[in-house]
Parts: sequence; structure tokens; C-alpha cells
Amino acid sequence: MKPASILGYGVAWLCLGAGAICGAPQPAGASPGSSGEMVPIPEGVYTPFSRSARGDAPVRVAAFLLDVYPVTNGQYLRFVQECPKWRRSEVSRLFADSTYLQDWAGDLEPGRSAPPTSPVVHVSWFAARAYARWAGKRLPTTAEWERAAACGYSGPDGRSGPQLNRDLYAWFARPAPDVQPSVTAARANFFGVRGIHGLVWEWVEDFNAALGAGGDADSGLFCAAGSSNARDTGDYAGFMRQALRSSLKANNTTSTLGFRCARDAVPAAGRESRPAPTL
Amino acid sequence: MTAMSLAAAAAGYSGQAAKPSCPCCKEEAAAPFSKESIYQLDARFTDDAGRTFAIGALRGRPVVLDMFFASCGSACPITVTDMLSIQSRLPAALRARVTFVLVTFDPARDTRQVLADYRRQRLLDGQWVLLRGDDDGIRELAALLGVRYTREPDGTFSHSNVLTLLNDKGEIAYQRVGLNEGIGRICAAVAANGG
Repeated sequence: MKPASILGYGVAWLCLGAGAICGAPQPAGASPGSSGEMVPIPEGVYTPFSRSARGDAPVRVAAFLLDVYPVTNGQYLRFVQECPKWRRSEVSRLFADSTYLQDWAGDLEPGRSAPPTSPVVHVSWFAARAYARWAGKRLPTTAEWERAAACGYSGPDGRSGPQLNRDLYAWFARPAPDVQPSVTAARANFFGVRGIHGLVWEWVEDFNAALGAGGDADSGLFCAAGSSNARDTGDYAGFMRQALRSSLKANNTTSTLGFRCARDAVPAAGRESRPAPTL
Repeated sequence: MTAMSLAAAAAGYSGQAAKPSCPCCKEEAAAPFSKESIYQLDARFTDDAGRTFAIGALRGRPVVLDMFFASCGSACPITVTDMLSIQSRLPAALRARVTFVLVTFDPARDTRQVLADYRRQRLLDGQWVLLRGDDDGIRELAALLGVRYTREPDGTFSHSNVLTLLNDKGEIAYQRVGLNEGIGRICAAVAANGG
């Protein structure tokens, strides 16, 4: 029923907000620098870092698609060009704190501190989510992200390959650079995902999960309470990620926190049946 | 619920469904919400009568809001009891202005009927609004309120216990965190924001 030109755009919605046409994203591959290219992550299992108070089974993770690269400044620029409410000077403090896009030179000018192919940082969870929606995608869940991040360079289990952990800890030890490196330099892991470790921390959809301490969120903020539930106390990197997520509020932005997008492998019911825009 | 309908109309929500929608630049209500208002949240909810409910329709009155799930056997019933206590303790004039809102974490099991049953069982009067939404909207609302939650493998929800007071603009005026504080402070906060 839909015209062919619209099919290619997936979620082409017309928006009249603030007098701008907030149209559909370009098809994958058309953006400068890194593309919105995605790789399939096969079905698998995620073992949460913490034991849960009410269930200890590993979580099955359905197959899904994940961006090869973290979202870059170049890609994010196109988003804010089309969506004025997410420009630095326009955004509501409720959705992004005062350091939102702090390293950009201006509203529509990433500038020298934010090169087009470097990962965008200083973005909030709300902003990351809005970008993902605009791109016709979504944020990965913790389970999906950890599933994709758990493999090594050459095999499905990163913990069996010491090289990945060495690189990971070396990254932790390095001070954050003033200017993030290009995503294109990042080495691919077994699934073909690049820079999931070693570039920036990344937002996940359910960053605000309650930790496995019986529902008392505050106990998750203390090392002893968090680590006492750890399944694998040797998983220092997992602990760091959990600690970071549990410390964040949804409008927080930092110099080392970016994101990448995911998508269901089989489009969810209704996702492709959105109404075509009235043009 | 007449006041509610009026508020909804005033907020410009009537007839909005026909407008084109966009996932990034949400159309604004007739009068924009304040930059600190959680009513900027664009999620749509459904109440226990099956009616679509934009959360911005709560504008114009103090709101005491809790996120819960109906099958909870621990903290949620206590919080609802506290909310009922707050309601009965308020002076009559103020009581008539305050709306009590429950938003479920569990839209899969908390169907319209389950919420309607919950209203009956807990004797929640017309000042109460019971809402269910989609997972997206629930996660965004929780994020705005600073509520953490996880669906456990057994189908229950672990969640932080945060009772929120919103002022008439939908800005967070006070939050009670945990269950040990009693209702004195939040009652005082309601009175301070009820003028």
C-alpha cells in the first residue's frame, strides 16, 4: 500500500514541531563518517552481574541488531539539525543537564573538540533515546549490550581471551582524552561490533534497573552491597559498568558517556505498520 | 472527573490524536509546560476506565504520584495506604484539589480490569487516577522520577519506593524516598503547594 519511496525510510514521520520538518533519517550508509550500519547479534544468554533476590536464572537474549559503531558527532549533528528541541540551547534541563553537548562549539557546530567521526558524548539518556527513535531504532537493553560486549576478538566468550581484558583494563587506566578518537579505528569484536570497549561508556535502555539487592535501590550505590551479590567477583569491568549505570540519572551527561542503537532482528508487530506520513 | 476533563481540554489535548506525530519533536500543548515539568513527557497512558490519558492533563492541581504494581505483596500496598492517609488528613478544601495517581510497572498483568478491581478493593475514590502505559512510557516516567525498577524472572518487580508530589505545573515539589518517613512531611509539602 505504501509508496516505494517511503518504504525505504521505515519510520518516516512528518513533524511540525517548532516549524521544522523533522523528517526521516537517511537510509543506512548515507551519513558522513561512520554509517548507521548494524550487525546481527545471535540469540544467546546473558548472566547478570548481580544475583537477583528473586530469581537466579541466566537471561535469554533474543537475536537483535546492534550498531557497529557508537553514534558519532556527525550523525548526532543531523539529528539536532532536524530536531531543534534537542539542540544545546533549546533542550529542557529535565532531559539533559547543563553539560549537554558541552564539547560542541555551538548548537549546530560540533567544532574541533567533537570531530565528525568521534563518538558523541555529553548526551543524556533521554537524548540518546530520542536519537534512536529518530533513526528508527532503539537503545539496547543491558542484557543485549552485555551480550554483545561479552565476546572476545576472535571467539564468543571474551573472558577466555585475555587480550580483550588487557585492552579493557588499559582503557580504564588511561585518562579520558580531551578529544575522543575516531570510531573507525576501533577493533571489531567477534560479532563485528566496534569500540564497544575502549572508546566511551554507553547508555542502555534500562540503565535505571533496580539492582539485585531486594529492591532497595540505595544499597546498590555502595560497593559492599553491590559486590556482595556479584556472581563473578573477577568481572571487574562488569562491576564498573554496573556501578556507573547505578550512579546515573536520566538527564546526566558526561565526557565519556555516549551510546549506540539497536533494533529488533524481526521487526516487532506494529513497528512496520506505522502510518505513512501525510504529505 | 469533570475537573480532569476540563484540565485536559485546557492543556490542548482534545483532538490531538489526529495530528501527525513525530518521535523526536513532540508537538507542544497549547500552552507549553515549564522546562522543569514532567508533563513534557509525551507518553500516553490509559486509565482503569479504558480512557486515553495524557499525563499533562493533571496540570493545574497538586498530584501525589506513586509507581506500583497491583500484585505487589510488600511495599506497594503500604504506600497506597499512606496515600489514603494523606488524603484523609488533608483539610477538606485542599483534599478536593489533590489528585492521587498510581502508575503500574506491570501493564501486561495490570489490565484495565485489574486496575478497576484494585480501585474497588482499596476504596479509591474519584480523586484517584490509575494508569497503565506502554513499556517505553513507563521507563521514561520512572527515569524522570528517579525510580529504579526491574522485572524479575518470577514476574514481580523490584523497584525503589518513591512517592512524588508534583505541583500544579507538574514539577517535582517533594519526594519521599523509602517507607520509613511517615506522612507528616509530604502532607506539609502538599499543603505548601496546594495554595
